[in-house]
Amino acid sequence: MIHPDSVHKLRRVYVWEQPVRIYHWLNALCILVLIVTGFYIGDPLAILSSREASAQFLMGWMKLIHFIAAYIFLFNFIFRIYWGFVGNKYASWKNFIPTNKKFFREIWQVLKMDILMMKGKEHLSVGHNAVAGISYFLVFILFLLQILTGFGLYAATSDFWLAKMFAWVPYLTGGDALLRQIHHAVMWLFILFTVVHVYLVFYHDYVEGRGEISSMGGGWKFIEEEVFQEMKREAAAKKKKSPQTAGGTGFKSVPESALKPGTK
Amino acid sequence: MPTPIKEAPTYYDEVRRKGYSRREFMQFCTMLAAYMGLSQAGIAQIAKAMQQKTRLPVIWLHFQECTCCSESFIRSSHPMVADILLDQISLDYTETLMAASGFQAEEAMKNTMTKYKGEYILCVEGSVPTDADGVYCMIGGKTSLQILEEAAEGAKAIIAWGSCASNGCVQAAKPNPTSATPIHKLVHGKPVIKVPGCPPIGEVMAGVIVHVVTFGKIPELDGMGRPKAFYSKRVHDTCYRRPYYDAGLYVESFDDENAKKGYCLYKVGCKGPSTYNACGVTKWNNGTSFPIQSGHGCFGCSEANFWDNGRIYERASAFPGFGIESTADTVGKIALGVTAGAIGAHAIMTNIRKHKMITDLEKEGRKSEQDLENT
Amino acid sequence: MSKRIVVDPVTRIEGHLRVEAEIENGRITEAYSSGTMVRLLEEILRGRDPRDAWAFVGRVCGVCTSVHSLTSVRCVEDALGINIPPNAEWVRNIMFCTQYLHDHVVHFYHLHAMDWVDVVNALKADPKKTSELAQSISPWPKSSPGYFSDLQKRIGKFVESGQLGIFANGYWGHPAYKLPAEVNLIGLAHYLEALEWQKEIVKVHAIFGGKNPHPNYLVGGMACSISVDDVSGINAERLAHVKQLLDQAKVFVEQVYIPDLMAIASFYKDWGSIGGGLGNFMVYGDLGENGYKDEKSYKFPSGVILDKDISKVHEVDLRKDDEIQEFISHSWYEYKDGDKVGLHPWKGESKVKYSGPKPPFDYLDTTQKYSYLKTPRWNGHAMEVGPLARVLVGYARGRQDYQEVVNKTLKDLDIPVTALFSTLGRTAARGLETILVGQWAMEFYDKLINSIKSGDTRMADTSKFDPSTWPSKAVGVGHSEAPRGALAHWINIDDGKIANYQLVVPTTWNASPRDGNGKLSAYEAALIDTPVADINQPVEILRTIHSFDPCLACAVH
Ligand code: HEM
Ligand code: HEM
Ligand code: NFV
Ligand code: SF4
Ligand code: SF4
Ligand code: F3S
Ligand SMILES: [Mg+2]
Repeated sequence: MIHPDSVHKLRRVYVWEQPVRIYHWLNALCILVLIVTGFYIGDPLAILSSREASAQFLMGWMKLIHFIAAYIFLFNFIFRIYWGFVGNKYASWKNFIPTNKKFFREIWQVLKMDILMMKGKEHLSVGHNAVAGISYFLVFILFLLQILTGFGLYAATSDFWLAKMFAWVPYLTGGDALLRQIHHAVMWLFILFTVVHVYLVFYHDYVEGRGEISSMGGGWKFIEEEVFQEMKREAAAKKKKSPQTAGGTGFKSVPESALKPGTK
Repeated sequence: MPTPIKEAPTYYDEVRRKGYSRREFMQFCTMLAAYMGLSQAGIAQIAKAMQQKTRLPVIWLHFQECTCCSESFIRSSHPMVADILLDQISLDYTETLMAASGFQAEEAMKNTMTKYKGEYILCVEGSVPTDADGVYCMIGGKTSLQILEEAAEGAKAIIAWGSCASNGCVQAAKPNPTSATPIHKLVHGKPVIKVPGCPPIGEVMAGVIVHVVTFGKIPELDGMGRPKAFYSKRVHDTCYRRPYYDAGLYVESFDDENAKKGYCLYKVGCKGPSTYNACGVTKWNNGTSFPIQSGHGCFGCSEANFWDNGRIYERASAFPGFGIESTADTVGKIALGVTAGAIGAHAIMTNIRKHKMITDLEKEGRKSEQDLENT
Repeated sequence: MSKRIVVDPVTRIEGHLRVEAEIENGRITEAYSSGTMVRLLEEILRGRDPRDAWAFVGRVCGVCTSVHSLTSVRCVEDALGINIPPNAEWVRNIMFCTQYLHDHVVHFYHLHAMDWVDVVNALKADPKKTSELAQSISPWPKSSPGYFSDLQKRIGKFVESGQLGIFANGYWGHPAYKLPAEVNLIGLAHYLEALEWQKEIVKVHAIFGGKNPHPNYLVGGMACSISVDDVSGINAERLAHVKQLLDQAKVFVEQVYIPDLMAIASFYKDWGSIGGGLGNFMVYGDLGENGYKDEKSYKFPSGVILDKDISKVHEVDLRKDDEIQEFISHSWYEYKDGDKVGLHPWKGESKVKYSGPKPPFDYLDTTQKYSYLKTPRWNGHAMEVGPLARVLVGYARGRQDYQEVVNKTLKDLDIPVTALFSTLGRTAARGLETILVGQWAMEFYDKLINSIKSGDTRMADTSKFDPSTWPSKAVGVGHSEAPRGALAHWINIDDGKIANYQLVVPTTWNASPRDGNGKLSAYEAALIDTPVADINQPVEILRTIHSFDPCLACAVH
């Protein structure tokens, strides 16, 4: 039981290993670059210049940067998938793909608490919560889609075998036109994701105070000693019943009063 | 293949008779080979075939079309169509050019279908309407669907001319009121060579025919059934305005200063970046020009469904279900606005509903701060 | 006893035309013309961007390629109040003339000649005599005995091969073929030469419109900017190319087409009294010397002639609600207000409804609906449109250029002016206007050059290109004289989108089924009374039908 007036002892948990952190920021940077250059490719600015065309290469640079970022983005993504199998339990692919009922129960729980702000048992996740997990899973699928459409568009203009491997993609959409449209539309989904994602990271930091934002910097989150103990007990109990499945989640009880609106 | 005809002049004879030298003939063969992406050995093969005589029987059907594919075919300069018709193929049925009409025309088709069963090439210009049991296209009292089925039966291979036959073209544009259907969706178990374009370039059409005549087999096709020789490159990658594209110099509106300087047409809707065709290389009308050279963007006339792939003068396609003016960007901006609003509302609600939690955290922090002060 | 014969497919035309005719005592007593394919482009245009319409309707036809696109941009420009720069007028007119030169020559040799020229009989010709004859009618250089004998050998081998290709099953040897073998050989030689030449003249379209078939147009002008001091646009080299092509075309028309036409016609003067038909003619007009909007300066003046009375020319108004209307009493369509009403195109409807026999069938039920063409009427009258109508209206309007070419031809052939109302007259009129168009093309070329010389290099007005500058509602009409006759498009624009788009096309006028009052349209009327010597080889039907140069893809759209 956490008492509101108590001063918590916090425990440092190493959640995001360094490779995950590097992955994350490289990915964020790539996406930022891809969005900026992608916007330009889709609708270049009107530049007034009297220089010879041969002295300029603005679109050329934009595309070059787009493609370099695209390759980094691809390899980084592949690396993350690999890390999903070898990394710590917070990095495991099991956090992303719902494999059991509990995952879905947790999704409902988080939606109730964080989004709809209903009453209930507050949920704590040291790693991703279930909603975050599944939304990252969806985002990973979008990454894949963007890689397919992007490299599908790129294949015809590249001699590199890797890019050429995607030459079949336009056949699925009946040509490049629809491919470009999908590629462009998915960009918007990333923009929307990023906005919501960043907001939620701040939100969690704000309402939980466990160092959510900085966790992607140093890798640590800070959880209350009581919670830590409770989770330990839970884990031990589970180990007895069955070999460990998903990791990194637990529950803490929150007194009713904490959820009352306003300052009565 | 029909048995070679002894006396008939070979293509080579004809070329010689017209006063061209053997050297020029070989140059022509080399050009054709280069056209088809063939090696040195291929040149010899073409030269040989052109000196032998075989006239391949061809049936050319017309369904829902505008005859511009036939028109484009007769624009071919190399080889010339008169030569193709007299020396290379036996065009036994084509409504546009054949002398016979009515039942004599139908008889000419039947003769070829029986006499050359399994050997003739079936060319189809136009799509087949499948709605209402096919009554939207009838010839000689039969539907185009019935005619296609009969003619495809004994064909060695099928050439789908133009966008109509390869992807339905304009009559298949939304809402496709007659259910205009491309050929590959209706015949099965036969190779279908798609030669899209509205129309395809005359020399490309002639090139496909010459390939079949010369090698006795169909050209190599890509995953969408198009001859690789002509459809493996984007207009954009062979466009002479490409340096302006890369430089970021664009025509902003038609006939502006930039247009007079021949800048890239990307921003006035050019679909060259998503269009696979030979226009930039082969060009049109014996190399005279092509759409972009004459100041108009490509609108992707060789791409499937190009009529519904967005408007001609807009870069971005309409977003499905949001009207012709809406693009992914319009929808994206709206969604972004809605999201920002929702986040704002959520942030306010958080401060209300979770007030206690937040103040507790704050209190806890303050307490620690005071503890530090008080030591 | 009358016998019904069917010609389906009618070949050497554009599209799918079926003719059914009742024949009694060797003459046609009833005729039915049916278009048997439909694409419904008018429905497909609904809701689209008016600026794109030219590309869609351009695909109505690849034979008269460009005329629908031209008519479409005119119609949208009319609706939006856009004035195009003079250079664009001249370029459009040059392209227009190019289209005529191409289309008429191809029609004559490749779509019509085999009705008059017996290809197989050409093998019997004496090359030397052929050469003499050819040289006597034209200075065209390709006319040596060697040339004709080489050709004859080539065709001989072709025929011997037994694979007759496009010539298979023709009505060769039919008694209606009356040309001497030498004329047949000339006809055949020029069939092949015209095939070679036609691919040249269309390069004018490639230069200004990027390609042919289906060159590009632009609402507000043309996309081909003028860059006199730059390699990027229309410059001296491009213009010189255009000039050369027009010069060559003029020579080909004057030295090949017209001499052939006259030579062939002189053997078929009996066709000067067959196939006349309606006697009503209509022209919308085109080729303004001062641009499209200046109707007074039209090289092709507009007007209506009723009942072969060339002493009076009536005016045409495309905007008047009750003047031009389309009926569907014999068409596979349905209107909201029933089958009896006629609709002006601004209120036009295009809801198709097939009610004919279930295929495969032998005969249509011509007492009911029997065609995918609607039936257009001008003040209730059926109209013939096309070269003959244009030549007659120009002649009747007292235009000197018309009178010169017409009178000379009548004199050369020694036929009366009434012989113009016939199958022969129609075919001759097409040739005569081709001469005029060849001359006019040069005039418009000179206008373009002079305009550029004077410093005007504008090619498009894009001030109203952006849909945000448009009124929320607009209506427009654009017209032209397509090679086959009077063509117009009507548009209704709502909120920047096409609310309704209607085409009324030359071949719709000519080839439509009869109207609710039983009045025949041009094809059907022209066939009545035509002699048919052998019902199994109705070459006479083809002659009259081909003299109109049918385009069914246009007619049904
Ligand atoms: C977050 C990831 C990405 C975003 C947001 C993004 C965004 C965009 C946008 C907006 C366009 C312009 C589309 C248009 O309107 O025409 C574009 C074009 C393109 N993108 Fe991406 N992209 C991403 C990833 C990729 C990847 C992984 C590739 C792989 C090579 C790629 C390759 C391309 C190509 C080839 C084009 C077309 C360029 C051209 O015109 O030739 N993109 N991208
Ligand atoms: C200022 C920007 C950003 C901050 C502060 C931030 C912060 C974080 C944090 C704290 C997490 C861990 C979340 C958790 O506990 O579940 C996380 C995870 C993640 N973020 Fe971000 N992020 C940012 C931008 C982005 C962007 C632009 C993207 C890509 C569109 C992105 C994609 C992801 C993904 C995919 C994960 C899951 C990481 C993994 O497990 O591999 N983030 N981010
Ligand atoms: N009828 C018709 Fe056309 C013409 N000329 C056009 O409007 O042919 Ni295709
Ligand atoms: S593909 Fe285009 S050009 Fe060819 S027949 Fe169809 S509409 Fe005409
Ligand atoms: S004009 Fe079109 S095809 Fe050419 S470079 Fe520009 S966008 Fe590409
Ligand atoms: S519109 Fe068609 S003609 Fe070529 S340049 Fe584009 S593919
Ligand atoms: Mg109509």
